[in-house]
Amino acid sequence: MSDALAIRDVHVQFHTRRGVYKALNGVNLRLRRGEVLGIAGESGCGKTTMGLAVMSLLPRNASIPRGQVIFDNKDLVNLPREYSERVGDRFNPKENERILRRVGKAMTRIRGQRISMVFQEPMTSLNPVLPVGFQVAETIYVHNPALLARRVLARSKATPSLMQDLLRLLDQTHGDEAAVTEFAADHGLPGIEEQALFVWRREDVHVSRKEKAIRSLSGQSMNPLERNIIVAVVKAGSIPPQFARVPILSRVVRRVLVKEGYRKALELLTSLGIHHAERVVKMYPHELSGGMRQRVVIAIALANNPEIVIMDEPTSAVDVTVQAQILDLVKRIRTSVSASFIVISHDLAVLAEVSDRIAIMYAGRIVEVSSVDEILHHPLHPYTQMLISAIPTLEAKPVEGIKGEVPDMRDPPGGCAFHPRCPFAFEKCLSIVPIDFRQGTDQLVACWLYEGK
Amino acid sequence: MMATVTETKARYDELKLSARVFLANKTAVAGLVIFLIFVGDALIVQIAPGILGVQYPNDVIPPQITQTNPECTGMPPEPPSIAHPFGTIQYGLSGIGCLDLLQLVMKAIRIDLAISFFIVLVGAAAGTLLGVVSGYFGKWLDEVVMRVTDVFFSVPFIILALAVGYVIGRTLFNMALALIIIWWPLYARYGRSLTLTTKEATFIESARAAGSGRLKIMFRHILPNVMPPVLVQISLDVGTVLLIFSTLAFIGFLPSGALVPELGVIANIGLDFAQFGYWWTVIVPGGIITLFALAVNLMGDGLRDVIDPRRRS
Amino acid sequence: MKLWVYVVRRLILLIPTLIGLTFLVFALEHAGGTSLFLAAYIDPHLTGTARQQLVDELTTKFHLNDPVYVQYLYWLAAILQGDWGTSTTIRQPVATGFLWFMPNTIMLTAIASLLTWVISVPIGVYSAARRDSILDQGVRVATFTLYSMPIFLIGFALFFTLGTAWGVLPAQFNIDLILLPTIPSAWFDHTNSVSYPTHILALDAFLHGDWAIAWNAFLHVILPAVSLALALLAGIIRILRASMLEVLEQDYVRLARAKGVPERVVQNFHAKKNALLPTVTSYGYLVSGLFGGAVVIEDIFTFKGIGWWTTRAFLTDDVGVVMGSTLVFGLILVTTTLLLDLLYAFLDPRIRYE
Repeated sequence: MSDALAIRDVHVQFHTRRGVYKALNGVNLRLRRGEVLGIAGESGCGKTTMGLAVMSLLPRNASIPRGQVIFDNKDLVNLPREYSERVGDRFNPKENERILRRVGKAMTRIRGQRISMVFQEPMTSLNPVLPVGFQVAETIYVHNPALLARRVLARSKATPSLMQDLLRLLDQTHGDEAAVTEFAADHGLPGIEEQALFVWRREDVHVSRKEKAIRSLSGQSMNPLERNIIVAVVKAGSIPPQFARVPILSRVVRRVLVKEGYRKALELLTSLGIHHAERVVKMYPHELSGGMRQRVVIAIALANNPEIVIMDEPTSAVDVTVQAQILDLVKRIRTSVSASFIVISHDLAVLAEVSDRIAIMYAGRIVEVSSVDEILHHPLHPYTQMLISAIPTLEAKPVEGIKGEVPDMRDPPGGCAFHPRCPFAFEKCLSIVPIDFRQGTDQLVACWLYEGK
Repeated sequence: MMATVTETKARYDELKLSARVFLANKTAVAGLVIFLIFVGDALIVQIAPGILGVQYPNDVIPPQITQTNPECTGMPPEPPSIAHPFGTIQYGLSGIGCLDLLQLVMKAIRIDLAISFFIVLVGAAAGTLLGVVSGYFGKWLDEVVMRVTDVFFSVPFIILALAVGYVIGRTLFNMALALIIIWWPLYARYGRSLTLTTKEATFIESARAAGSGRLKIMFRHILPNVMPPVLVQISLDVGTVLLIFSTLAFIGFLPSGALVPELGVIANIGLDFAQFGYWWTVIVPGGIITLFALAVNLMGDGLRDVIDPRRRS
Repeated sequence: MKLWVYVVRRLILLIPTLIGLTFLVFALEHAGGTSLFLAAYIDPHLTGTARQQLVDELTTKFHLNDPVYVQYLYWLAAILQGDWGTSTTIRQPVATGFLWFMPNTIMLTAIASLLTWVISVPIGVYSAARRDSILDQGVRVATFTLYSMPIFLIGFALFFTLGTAWGVLPAQFNIDLILLPTIPSAWFDHTNSVSYPTHILALDAFLHGDWAIAWNAFLHVILPAVSLALALLAGIIRILRASMLEVLEQDYVRLARAKGVPERVVQNFHAKKNALLPTVTSYGYLVSGLFGGAVVIEDIFTFKGIGWWTTRAFLTDDVGVVMGSTLVFGLILVTTTLLLDLLYAFLDPRIRYE
């Protein structure tokens, strides 16, 4: 399977006092490895719900009556779906909560490590009483404490002369990652390479300072207790249970590793374009600007090199200049990181900038999926066509809105959900849900207009 | 300005929705029922005490008891029984016994409710008005009011009540007065903060722009926005106030001769015996107080559902 | 802005309140007329010319014939010098009485607070996390009921059941009366029933190595402290639960889960830290009720603190003590509120950086 993620016929319903909202009504989507897939649609069409469903972060009053989310050959939503299938109409949020707790436990290995999500509001996404550096460090501490331990151990084993050699190697190979990694491995210093490379690649610091910094990556001192802990963690590849259980020891483990996490956080934040990261790392969220907060949240998402990153409206809560910065950042990230991205936005222009393919969503279904060029120049679905023509451009042209309103999802229209607003609707559209039709080389459109073409 | 037909209908619909929201909360309805029973008792004792078999609604000890029932002198409290569902108490050691506790409670409810409402309504009215004025006009008036309320808050309620009561005299009315003096700062602060939030609202700006006078704005725009939360607070405070002044009575605010049927006073009388095993003399009045406060709190929860737009849906 | 700047600002705000408090007490003392005011300084048994002489002396001392503000200044001076009048109940200067009895009350309220917080936090957090479960519903019913009970009922219930009827724990005084004569005079003043140096019997006995007395005195603290704690924890649990429920809906909690942080850590670290903030604020409002409740509890259990002393004084016309109590309780409450504000500023980084 060359797909990073497969969403098959997923249905999600929200059970509220005012009725049952059918948020997702058969979403079919495949995320290819290494691509950036944009998901576009008006507010309320279910884009965020889809992201949350993948992460299993839906609230307890959400049921999943049908569908699968296939990741690494496993269905991530099978437990809530089975519960839904079992109880049907007698859906009980309290019982569901218990199921969700089990799912949550299973998902802790995936969330933040293999699939991560960036939420819509950087303002409120960060915990106001914890420093941002901690919040980044925590995600590494939770998933990859051995990495942090290795880094500390490497620094304690490194000698100034070894670092001098490393410096020469960096000069000669112009910062070749493979060579540096090999050097580190050969000299028993795994973990030193990313620290050295980070310093080397900085663009805001003078060469002489870089050299000094790399040399000072040696001679990390640790008291015997710390050393034992670090060595044990490195050996075990995780925090050994005996350390985790004993109260005082677990505190020391946490302290040492989180401190190292701060260092790594510093590196991450700098690579995302934050200046003076040493100071930022100790600050609280309310002290940072919106753009910086967004970068912090992105850093958290990328920290453990996940396979999939879901970004929900990354530019909606910030102003235009910051928007441009973030988009640049996303473009830069995807060249340096091997993950697949899902970018959710109501703004087609934003998606056009960063995506490889775009999926258009309406009333809980995907109505069209194509490459960026095709979507923009040859939109197939009537809804997509209207969305495109509604984008204000620099040329003088009348901006057309789309008639009608988003349907009340408690009682969505039968057949194709768009038919009340569609100028091309005919009989079949009113009663039968359109299936996907392949067009061109790589386009999918769910519209009866394309049947038999 | 005459209310038009549509406006009246809109208000009626709002009320219907409010009633529906309130009634949906079952515990709130239970609270309301209990509350109404209390009010019912108070009204009946006031108007026609005979229905409940109550005589001498303002006395703990009916005047002729020693003459008609000589064996009651020195009679210790009796536990709850068919004849006396709440038991009996005795006033003063080797004093007058056979005092039916159920009757005393029925009498006391009327007095306790009256005092509670009196304190809360007067305190709330005075306090809220001052708070709104202070919040609206701001500047030095506001500062002064804030400092004064700060001072009142710096002393625990019960201590302040004792001190004030000591100075103005230890009577039932003065106890209510002392509590009003303690209670108004709460409403002053509350009214003030509500006024400040309302003041920021843009419709006030538009009213000013349209040329309305300041007093007019205050009464026409601010008060109607301040009233609903204040009313909810009042409904909750009726219970809290009862808790406080009955506790005051319990520790002996009223001089030992003042025998008013009041739940705290009854508990105080009962305390003399309680440690010898006659527990109902304190538990019953305390329990009745608890029941009332419980009902009020449950109702308050329901009212919050009605007022708070988030919980309404 | 740093934390210490906030501290200084807060201290400065304290001053008008303290001055206002003195105004209040002064006004109360004089509202009842001159004779009421002087009653604190005159022995009730004194009559005739000796009394008149004393009255004249006091009139001069407190400048009672001069304008009010002059009277206030002389009164304040006397207060600051420690002359608060004489207590008829203990036959000692009022200020001395407060010194003797205050430690007991502070200890009682401190222990009650500690008990409350230790019990409330786990219950509140767990109750919110397991919303609508059997435990949660039970907690809600229990706290709602406790919250509606008058403090004297809670105190009496414990007094009667565990104390008098079942005799599990002692329910009166600070020590078993039988043991009273056995306390060494080296550190215990038998005439006035005061121990030295801390005036807390259990503590002093402990410091002097008298384990039997210390243990017995400690037992006497339990029921009053538990009564107070029960009254207090109803309020705390309700608030903590409500704010936990709100916090658990927040975006940053969702992010913590999205990071893969185990649910237990999300609740007990990320959520709890934020939920405690409004709880600390609310505790500030509850502390007033705590001290008021201490008065009642001390009365029921005859626990010799300033609450008990104040009710005694109120019932026996010991004016100096009643007025002094207003001042003392006011000072204690103001100090406690200040400390709580500082604690809050310490816990919430947003406050310091305004």
